[in-house]
Amino acid sequence: MSEVIVITSGKGGVGKTTTTANIGVGLAQRGKSVVLIDTDTGLRNLDLLLGLENRIMYDLVDVTEGRIPYKKALVRHKKYESLFLLPTSQIKDKSAVNPAQLIVLCDELRKEYDYVIIDCPAGIEQGFKTAIAAADRAIVVTMPEVSAVRDADKIIGELGRAEKDNISLIVNRIRPQMVESGDMMDMSDIDDILAVKCIGQVPDDEMVVTSANRGEPLVGNPKSQAGRAYANIVGRILGEDIPFMEFEKEGLFKRLKKALGI
Amino acid sequence: MGQELIKIKGGADGFQLIVDSSAKLEEVQAELEKKLAENPEFFPEGTEFKLVVADLNKNVKKGISEFLTNKGLNIANSTNTAVQQKEQPKVNVNTQQNQGQQAANSGISQQEMTVVNRTVRNGEQITSNGSVMICGNVNPGASIVAAGSIDIRGTCRGIVHAGAAGDIEAFVVADCLLPTQVRIANLIARSPDNIEKNNFAEKAYIKDGQIVIEPIER
Ligand SMILES: Nc1ncnc2c1ncn2[C@@H]1O[C@H](COP(=O)(O)OP(=O)(O)OP(=O)(O)O)[C@@H](O)[C@H]1O
Ligand SMILES: [Mg+2]
Repeated sequence: MSEVIVITSGKGGVGKTTTTANIGVGLAQRGKSVVLIDTDTGLRNLDLLLGLENRIMYDLVDVTEGRIPYKKALVRHKKYESLFLLPTSQIKDKSAVNPAQLIVLCDELRKEYDYVIIDCPAGIEQGFKTAIAAADRAIVVTMPEVSAVRDADKIIGELGRAEKDNISLIVNRIRPQMVESGDMMDMSDIDDILAVKCIGQVPDDEMVVTSANRGEPLVGNPKSQAGRAYANIVGRILGEDIPFMEFEKEGLFKRLKKALGI
Repeated sequence: MGQELIKIKGGADGFQLIVDSSAKLEEVQAELEKKLAENPEFFPEGTEFKLVVADLNKNVKKGISEFLTNKGLNIANSTNTAVQQKEQPKVNVNTQQNQGQQAANSGISQQEMTVVNRTVRNGEQITSNGSVMICGNVNPGASIVAAGSIDIRGTCRGIVHAGAAGDIEAFVVADCLLPTQVRIANLIARSPDNIEKNNFAEKAYIKDGQIVIEPIER
């Protein structure tokens, strides 16, 4: 049985695209067939994170406007044979695709693939409404910051009004040191307000940025805490019961080095 | 607080419009205009007002009725329940309270209750011309506006406005009361900038012309 999942957040820049790329690669690593759809029309970058920009021939708008069958627009991942990207147009804007078109497309994709994952644009306007239309399930990404949590709350309300009731949460860019010193919201503060099931806690990790620049999502990389956190999220999506990991805090030595700038 | 010429109270059978008998038509109209504009969501087209007056000038009565009709609002059969308002240069909070009680005793303002069984999230607004009970949290950015009182069985972090149509006896209770703002009738209180979470229920109400917050048992 296949599942359509939308990755959304309200606030921009909290890690939706990073999460989409990592979950996509992670599911493919676990042998699932996956299509990732970029719906951030006009501001696409899921292709960059996957290192697939130079292979794009057609885009989502070509498909929804009926110029080509969707199969022609899918870009197969270099390394994971069962992972595909459906990029969007960089020229058009959000009004180029409507909810009904995305529902039709996803219904076709469901027949062939295990997972369809939709990278949603920031905001609550038409782009958001289109992105969530076809989803069976929503994953809301937030950061441990008052404004990001506030926006996540708004988005959860919007999802509820759109009758999307299967909602889970990923908290991204956690800095354990700051949480410990009380300078950052902790999980219980966030849960107190949002009150939805959390399926991921991802630390702030420089390797996320370097891997994004290389176009290779770091899910499953044992050297990276974020890589392990994403692998756990993938396991939880597959229905496994995985406990949340304890983050390693920076040791005194490392902090001293940072303070001294060496 | 200056003398209020008109007062709007919410009740099960619509709103009561209480008008001071000394009021002039222009003043009432201006005052009404203001009150209606403050909470437009409260008074959708077709809202009925019951006029409560102590021997009001016929012309004034007619004028009010026309004014409301022009706004798409209705006036129900007016009652002549005398709300005593003799010549008083200033109406202080206490006399208004007595007035409110009289109206309540005469059984007109039996309030209906709006019950919400979920979290009220950022950007949502619940309005009621009776009282409101929320079984869940009221999050920051959410607002609850009620003509009557508000009871929150959960944590309140949003904006709450009880007695929004002028009822100064209205109150707000919550298991954990950390609102961005509490408003009761036309008074506003904001929470201190670094508010602590208590684990006892609290009640906000008007006492001596000010909003006060006190712990309560429940
Ligand atoms: N866990 C993390 N640790 C460090 N950096 C991160 C982490 N997650 C995301 N980032 C960085 O944050 C930036 C924004 O991430 P991303 O593009 O995934 O956000 P987005 O929500 O898709 O943004 P937009 O709303 O613009 O689409 C990127 O530079 C990314 O590398
Ligand atoms: Mg993005």
